[in-house]
Amino acid sequence: MIVGEQKPFEEIWEMIKGFRKVLVFGCNTCVAICHAGGGKEAEILASLIRMKAVQEGIGMEVKHAAIERHCEPEFFDPMMEDVKTNDVVLSTACGVGVNFLAERIGDIPVFPGINTQFFGAVPKAGIFVELCAGCGDCILHLTGGICPVARCAKSLMNGPCGGTNKGKCEISRDVDCAWYLIVERMKKLGTIEKLYEIQPLRNWSTATYGGPRRVILEHIKDIEEQL
Amino acid sequence: MYAAKRVTYAKKLLSTVGIDPARLEMYNLSAAMGPKWAEICTGFTEKIRKLGPSPIWLAVCRQSGMKRSELK
Repeated sequence: MIVGEQKPFEEIWEMIKGFRKVLVFGCNTCVAICHAGGGKEAEILASLIRMKAVQEGIGMEVKHAAIERHCEPEFFDPMMEDVKTNDVVLSTACGVGVNFLAERIGDIPVFPGINTQFFGAVPKAGIFVELCAGCGDCILHLTGGICPVARCAKSLMNGPCGGTNKGKCEISRDVDCAWYLIVERMKKLGTIEKLYEIQPLRNWSTATYGGPRRVILEHIKDIEEQL
Repeated sequence: MYAAKRVTYAKKLLSTVGIDPARLEMYNLSAAMGPKWAEICTGFTEKIRKLGPSPIWLAVCRQSGMKRSELK
């Protein structure tokens, strides 16, 4: 899932203080799981904005709403007329949702209420860890299911580097050395010899270095157009 | 103790918008601790009196041009 963190309130206030009708718009998928931008968090943020506005003597109408996803139009299209009645939308969806809504809402500004962080998992409640970098050329079958792109601080393809220390990365004792994990895992799987195979040069154009990416499924796209 | 952590978090939220976090407290009590409950309520009421009206309340009075005694 996509992990995010709410922006500092002061930063949010600076964005919206000049507007009179504010909608705090939450997304009930990934960012709700990480307690950053779901319906509940949107409601709390709206309350905080109201409290701040009253104390600042600003007559601000602050509403809150949430939908299941901000990354597909069918989820927010039914709400669009209501959304457009506001002067500004403070979206607590991930950056994808902010972009997507901004493209469709016309002249109304859409501001981000959270900082979108990474693709992650939830090993324990309240803890979120990055496990995938979305590089577009997955090599997890070669690395024991542990991603060196996301989990090695240098994204090395031929680790571990000299900074590995008793299974930890030199950047922090709290960070596991991804290549230590890979080697140990592949030993367990009995596939350690695969690491000795020479791999072709990696094509990084599938990552963001190749510009904005898109996936088009012709068979699905055609069906959608016919509907 | 999720509730205690959440109260701590709520206190932080309140302080970001200029509300004294001391206005929110959590106490652990059983249903059999009536006298202690009364004592806490009395003490907390006294504490809030000392802190004075909430800034929200004062702002509402200021904006409505009314005296506090006139507002319900």
